[in-house]
Amino acid sequence: MLIGTDIGGTFTDVVVMHPERGLLTAKSPSTPDDPSRGVVDGLTLVARELDVELRELLSGVTLFIHGTTVATNILVERKGARLGLVTTRGFRDLLELRDGTKSDRYNLRTPFAEPLVARPARREVGERTLYDGTVAEALDDAEVGDVLAELRADGVEGLVVCFLHAHRNPAHETAVRTLARQGDWRPYVSLSHEILGREGEYDRLSTTTVNAYVGPGLDRYLRRLDERLADAGLGVPLLVMQSSGGVLPVADAAKRAVGAVTSGPAGGAMAGAMLARASAAPLAVTYDMGGTSTDVGLIEDGEPLERGRTDVDELRLAVRAVDIAALGTGGGSIASIDAGGILELGPESAGAVPGPACYGRGGTRPTLTDANLVLGYVSPQTFLGGRMPLSVDAAVRAVQEEVAGPLGLDVEEAALAINALANSRVAEGIRQATVRRGFDPRDFTLIAFGGAGGIHADAVARELSIPTVLIPREASVLSALGMLAADVRHDLEATVGVPLAELTRENLLEAFEPLAATARERLRGSGFGDERIAFRCFLQCRYERQVYTVDVPFDVAELDDGDASFVARRFEARYRELYGHSHGDELAIADMLRVSGRGLLDPLALPDAPPAAAVGEPRATRPIRLARETVEAPVHWFDDLGAGAELAGPAVVDSASTSIVVLPGSRATVDVRGSLVIEPGATA
Amino acid sequence: MTAPTRQEEPPVLAAADVHPLTLAVVRHKLEAIAEEMVQTMTRTCFSPHLNQSQDFSGVILDGAARTLAQAERVPIHMGAMPEAIRGMAAGIDDVAPGDVLMANDPYWGGSHLLDVTLAKPVFAGERVAFWIALRAHQGDIGGISAGGYSPDAREVVQEGLRLPPVKLVERGVLREDVLRMVAANSRKSEELRGDVLAELAAVDRGAERVEAVLRRYGARQIERCVEAILDAGEAVMRREIGNWRPGTYHGVGSLELGDRDGGQLDLPVSVTIEDDRAVVDFSACPDQVEFYVNSPLANTRAAVLVAFQYLGEDRRTQNDGSLRAIDVITRRGSVLDPVAPAPVAACTVLTASAIIEAVLKAVTDAAPDAVIGGFARRFRFAIAGRDRRGRTFIWHQFFNRGGAGANLRHDGWSNLGVIHNPGGTPSPSIERTEASYPLRIEEYALRPDSGGRGRRRGGLGGVFRMRWIGERPAIFNATGEGCRIAPYGVAGGEPGALNDIRIVREDGEQLVLDGRAHGIALVDGDEIVCHSAGGGGCGDPAQRPVDAIARDRAYGYVTAR
Repeated sequence: MLIGTDIGGTFTDVVVMHPERGLLTAKSPSTPDDPSRGVVDGLTLVARELDVELRELLSGVTLFIHGTTVATNILVERKGARLGLVTTRGFRDLLELRDGTKSDRYNLRTPFAEPLVARPARREVGERTLYDGTVAEALDDAEVGDVLAELRADGVEGLVVCFLHAHRNPAHETAVRTLARQGDWRPYVSLSHEILGREGEYDRLSTTTVNAYVGPGLDRYLRRLDERLADAGLGVPLLVMQSSGGVLPVADAAKRAVGAVTSGPAGGAMAGAMLARASAAPLAVTYDMGGTSTDVGLIEDGEPLERGRTDVDELRLAVRAVDIAALGTGGGSIASIDAGGILELGPESAGAVPGPACYGRGGTRPTLTDANLVLGYVSPQTFLGGRMPLSVDAAVRAVQEEVAGPLGLDVEEAALAINALANSRVAEGIRQATVRRGFDPRDFTLIAFGGAGGIHADAVARELSIPTVLIPREASVLSALGMLAADVRHDLEATVGVPLAELTRENLLEAFEPLAATARERLRGSGFGDERIAFRCFLQCRYERQVYTVDVPFDVAELDDGDASFVARRFEARYRELYGHSHGDELAIADMLRVSGRGLLDPLALPDAPPAAAVGEPRATRPIRLARETVEAPVHWFDDLGAGAELAGPAVVDSASTSIVVLPGSRATVDVRGSLVIEPGATA
Repeated sequence: MTAPTRQEEPPVLAAADVHPLTLAVVRHKLEAIAEEMVQTMTRTCFSPHLNQSQDFSGVILDGAARTLAQAERVPIHMGAMPEAIRGMAAGIDDVAPGDVLMANDPYWGGSHLLDVTLAKPVFAGERVAFWIALRAHQGDIGGISAGGYSPDAREVVQEGLRLPPVKLVERGVLREDVLRMVAANSRKSEELRGDVLAELAAVDRGAERVEAVLRRYGARQIERCVEAILDAGEAVMRREIGNWRPGTYHGVGSLELGDRDGGQLDLPVSVTIEDDRAVVDFSACPDQVEFYVNSPLANTRAAVLVAFQYLGEDRRTQNDGSLRAIDVITRRGSVLDPVAPAPVAACTVLTASAIIEAVLKAVTDAAPDAVIGGFARRFRFAIAGRDRRGRTFIWHQFFNRGGAGANLRHDGWSNLGVIHNPGGTPSPSIERTEASYPLRIEEYALRPDSGGRGRRRGGLGGVFRMRWIGERPAIFNATGEGCRIAPYGVAGGEPGALNDIRIVREDGEQLVLDGRAHGIALVDGDEIVCHSAGGGGCGDPAQRPVDAIARDRAYGYVTAR
């Protein structure tokens, strides 16, 4: 039995893949004071549904994967550990100097982004390692001892150690950890070469600092959860979702805390990848439209695209992460007339509190959700499974007062305009995410989820000439479900630094073997036999005068015939794919080798949906406003539509978690897994 | 790309000029298309400096060359395009569908020769309805010094190849002869060729998408959208200025290397605020000089717009309509409105900074909430030598930018620098620098006491010490400012510390450098010690909150003064 749990801001989701009962889900309110309680609450709900005790449920678990925003929240709310830094003499201010930039260069009056380590706690010691790893100045143990004693006296709980060129020679960093632990002090220690084994002192320092900042809090939380679950009968180690879409055993996750900071969208991305694989779509774009924003991600050959660097509030996190673009448009985005008299949507959002006007929780501003309700796209009765009746009157009033009135439109036309602007924003956001990567959006399948995804999916696909839209049935717990599709993953890096023209098999093996050995050791430690360990290798290459690298994937088996020259050709081809040209005469360099060691977990088999009893008869009709007219559209209930069911637009499909609008001219069918597949009407 | 919903578009309301739905969507589309052009350029440009620093901008203008939407990566590109496109349109009288024009000439609406602009017309029937333009800073366009910035140039022709408007593409056919001729005039022919082709890919992409918008909504509706978008830009700027105190105000921006002899050049401005408009008058500025700081009119206007941009809150509605609220007056033949053959290479950096500062200083009394202290000036230097493998290289300094000015609410940012492009290109890594070149960086730290004192303190500059450890001597060249004129304080705040750059020899000899230190030989062991300027303070230092003073002391931002 597999269990995935995902803690969100409002709800904690539990997904159970039961050997006999198939997919079971539960939602329980999140408990921010002690998030582990919400997890146990959700599990208890599932146990009750299965009519077993919690202990019995947990004892049958073979895999338990957990996604948490604890690390994210610690960073965003700046509630992390008190930190001390030990670094090379002359460089204590690197964190504060940053790379000299600022994210919004026009707004000159924003407050300075304070570093996570205050200047007095940034301490220098005499030591110097050179670019080739040789030691020019030895570490002075006595000086380090004094510094550590002072930091301890200052109440430091997280110790960051970052020396120049430590990725080449980590001896001094390791020595500081040994010295720190000589007595009875047990701070949370993060060494830069362990967190990020590569050149680039600012990226390494900043990432390591974030690690130590969120680490102690995440560590405490995971221990508590682990104990609580073990007490309740869980017999397997807890696995924790990482930003990369992989998972780590709880002890590793607590040490590499920075890997969880942007893990929020990873579950959804993995679910999108799983759906893309299941429907054999080589290229897919996922768009998850929630209350405040829309996450856009790309899936290539069944894997989410990744990035190696994320900036959060002027802090650099150089960790592998699924490459999600967040657009500031969501159901709660507020529509307004801007200073120039033109309709605008967002960036202000009503969020969950007070929320859209139609929620009746005190919100009075018109939001996208209000507009969609006015248009009949959202059902006032079935929203959130009927737990939350929506007020059409309040939505009409808000749209009338703040948009329709000032623009001289009737309220439905105003709502249409808001809806159309949202479609445009999402479509352009998707276009940019694809264009930036050298793709054409028309080659993609659109996978829509999140509360508001289904309302806009058809229209967005039409704008982009996307031929297929897929809306999964499990939309509301997709993120938790996606976690079950993950593998245990250790990403490790080593410097290569050899011109591609001179690169040999030996260069690559020399870099690969130690990384593979480390990853293998960790995976074996988590119980993986060699037959379930796999490696993916990426050589990060660049032209000499460039900073950005291009990932060149290869398999170690390709080196068997003794030749590594294929790497240079592959780099050039990959570069050409991305940029439309290559530089034959330029010196190309193999910078770093990245090895992603995977401990393969049992692949998740999504259960098939029951076949359609008959071509689904609509449950009801309701008026929906289209671009030029209002039509009485058939309303289907998603759960009524079995595999093979077909319907034609205009139609609405409601479920407990979402509404889907099928526009006139579009056709929709339900596939074997129960997802609704829309073929948008003719696009030019 | 015509979606089927198009035919179902609601009819234009009789009461309004354009349907609000169409207007909102068209404005957003044009912004998104400008962004897509820049993304296309980023993805296809050839030379490393362009895809790293993104020194280019995509702009959509209407048929009269009024900016509607832009995706700028460099502030000074913002307001400069209308003049450039007007110059190009005026220079070619048989513009046809499928043509792409190219120009860089400062005396045809350009800024400096390195900025090569491509513009493609989009036709509605016989008329040009839009111009799709992209401007990119090219690495080299000929002239007496590599890279184009030469303090020795006396005339613009010495700064590189002048390109009055020419057709790069004629009715869809690339003029290979023209491209070859331009590329042949660059020291980096292949890169220039690749980058111009990338610009072409970007304007083609933009034009294709704007044509689709035009087809979808029709010329009549689009025309009305254009007017409404421009009106909106104007309304926002007028409202901003309307909040300011009426009157005439004066400010001076200074170039410490204003002429060939290194003399200071002051650029006085008067700004008159009347109701909701501003008159920015530079006619008191001195005559043009035989030195690269002259600023062509388009660049002068662009710098003024950047200053107003920094003063306002709402950047999103920025377009050509905004400039209707601002009259810029210059005197022909002066340093801010020169005539050929005055050289202009430094106008987008040095002169732009001085213009922006002059306007910001002048407006201080009109818009007291918006005041901001002076920023560190750019002081760049390069080292040419041989690496450990014996290959030649030129290393450019991108560390240690200096502090930003303080404002009413906050201290200035440390290590941000330069008002013409705050932040700018990211600093490289120390480790990469040491691994690639025979250079050892010994210190990179905040510079205590460099921020100008005030109720809010200026941002700190930095200390950067680097040793040349090459076997053979290297050559050190500098170009920059801020060694004599400090970043100014405002509203009673004090100025920040000056740039202080020196070379310290192993025997202790010290060479204090100015912004034109040139051809200095570095030998093994010589150390470059670079203290960058701090930002200007804001408000009376006596009113600095006690906890801020205590923190400055505890953190060592301020020592014993």
